[in-house]
Amino acid sequence: MISKPNSLTWLFGWLLAFASMPASANLNVFACEPEWASLVLALLPDANITAATTAWQDPHYIEARPSLIAAMRKADLAVCTGASLEAGWLPSLISRAANRKIQPGSDGLFFAADHAPLHQSREHVDRSMGDVHPEGDPHLHLSPDAIPRVVDALAKRLASLAPEQATAIQQRYIRWRGDWNQERQRWRVAAQRLEGTGVVTQHSTFDYLLRWLNVNVVADLEPKPGLPPSSRHLRDVLATPSISDASVILVASYQDDRPATWLSNQSGIPKVVLPGTVTGEPGQQTLQEVIGLIIEALLAHQRVEHVD
Amino acid sequence: MRFTRLQASILSTLLVPFASAQANEMNPDISVVLDGYYKQNATALSHRDEGFGLGHTELSLSAPIDDLFAGRLTAVLEEHHGETEVALEEAYLQTTGMPWNLSVRGGRFLSQVGYLNSRHMHEDNFVERPAAYRALLGSHYFDDGLRVNLLMPTAFFWQIGAEAFNGNRLTEGDEDIGVYTVNTRFGGDIGVSQSWQAGLSYLNNRQVHGDHDGDHDHDHDHGDHDHSHAAAYTGENLYIADLVWKWSPDGNTRQQQLTLSGEYLYADELNEHARSSDYHQGWYTSAVYRFTPQWSVGARYGRVDLKEAHGDHFHDQQLKETDVMLAWSRSHFSTLRLQYTHQSAHGFDNADNTVTLQYVMTFGAHGAHDF
Repeated sequence: MISKPNSLTWLFGWLLAFASMPASANLNVFACEPEWASLVLALLPDANITAATTAWQDPHYIEARPSLIAAMRKADLAVCTGASLEAGWLPSLISRAANRKIQPGSDGLFFAADHAPLHQSREHVDRSMGDVHPEGDPHLHLSPDAIPRVVDALAKRLASLAPEQATAIQQRYIRWRGDWNQERQRWRVAAQRLEGTGVVTQHSTFDYLLRWLNVNVVADLEPKPGLPPSSRHLRDVLATPSISDASVILVASYQDDRPATWLSNQSGIPKVVLPGTVTGEPGQQTLQEVIGLIIEALLAHQRVEHVD
Repeated sequence: MRFTRLQASILSTLLVPFASAQANEMNPDISVVLDGYYKQNATALSHRDEGFGLGHTELSLSAPIDDLFAGRLTAVLEEHHGETEVALEEAYLQTTGMPWNLSVRGGRFLSQVGYLNSRHMHEDNFVERPAAYRALLGSHYFDDGLRVNLLMPTAFFWQIGAEAFNGNRLTEGDEDIGVYTVNTRFGGDIGVSQSWQAGLSYLNNRQVHGDHDGDHDHDHDHGDHDHSHAAAYTGENLYIADLVWKWSPDGNTRQQQLTLSGEYLYADELNEHARSSDYHQGWYTSAVYRFTPQWSVGARYGRVDLKEAHGDHFHDQQLKETDVMLAWSRSHFSTLRLQYTHQSAHGFDNADNTVTLQYVMTFGAHGAHDF
């Protein structure tokens, strides 16, 4: 159900919701980003989930388009990142959908960023610093430590909205948590091997995970957060002495990879395009799998470095 | 609406709580739009004078009021011939807690007829609204009134709405409720890359048949704008059909976006002397392609055929307008635009071609990315 919300899926979802309405209506969940859809799916598999964005879309720049208003209209719960990530479109969607269950401050609106400490929250921000958010870096969905807190709170919220399923949700949460902790042990081992590795990134999409892995971001292709890479900035990055510490250039699937390709050609540092979140494709359906994929890519390129 | 003396005090009061970027329990969202331009030549039916000038400088505050209401206040400062006017463009409350996806808005707000009218002018892709909008809606029609909107329980987006307005901002008159509108919109996605919206609107102007004809005849001296922003050409019935289609590879609007849009406007029953062959009619179609996050190009063609009232008969007027523009946005919050406008007219003395250089800058709260 993490596929892009095409009209057919919607028609089907709506028919499904309509058909099952008299008995016990399934919870309609609107997920702003696909990672939250995947987590709701893990906790409440029979929910009707609509993901508003995909891994190929930059979540900052979505428009409050008609299909999303229609999805928000019937939602019982909206699960979003918060911390101003959706500041450009979520308030407009909420207002246009006029769904009284989904209002700021109500139980129907769940912000992941409210349930975990954020990096880089600041007292003072202004836009000369780029599109920085005063609350902190909102891209917390790949954080091995933040996600369990979010899922804990999400399980409680789902249980309060679907009380007849509370026990099952709690059981699924415990199972999910066990899996996550097990995976996290594996990631910790990888982190020891990766310690001190340098990477070049574009925006802070992977930053929570990289920090957790003790991987250093030696340069960002964006001159300021939210500004597209400029040729002058790319030349500056190329001239940075610490660029030689980078073993890989990481680009998320929704980003333009031409700047990274240019830098890779100039510097010889390999470029890797990775899914910024779950994609629905095999091996990329859960956050555990995506984190595993990113760690594998980092390790693979590190091995190449050692061979050299 | 001229409170020039109050202007300084309004501004100083509003600008003080500028510390917070997001609305919290104490501070509203505050946003400011700066719009300035240089225009080479004066043009017909234009709201922008030639030379250096300021366009639609906007100061907007919005916040939830409590768990049932939200509110918004937008003050607009405009400069005309060296005089600064402060106008209240929006001052409304909106319900947030109604059942069945109903929403009610009351106060002063932009009417939702057509595609462009309910949008703020600074979101536009061209320096000015199409000629049909400038003639028939005064670029953007806002008034004091009440709106009820309902989202239908369908899988696709389907909204129906009705508005009642005072009407004096469209045509001066004595009716308590001078304008009624009804509007419906549909929309959806085609695959992941395309989305669309279609709308139909009807506006009933009950004050057209008044004893006020003189206002307009004197005011619009062949298309030169008057400052009241009232529509220069009106009819008892105004019908609008609109269609918008957008395309982005993978639906990733950040990287690229192609927007095609068009509207058709038709007004009849112009006044008590009007025969069935007397009507206003206009349309435009526009294509805007943002080919990188920072650059976009666009072209728009529109025409409007008007009847200018002269006592008991009408004179034909026609304006055809072609615009091409190139815009650069350093960030999400700044735009510089270069536009060339070509006008060819019949019945307008001041039609001309012009180059306009415009900036639109926003600061404060993040603006909405509406469709």
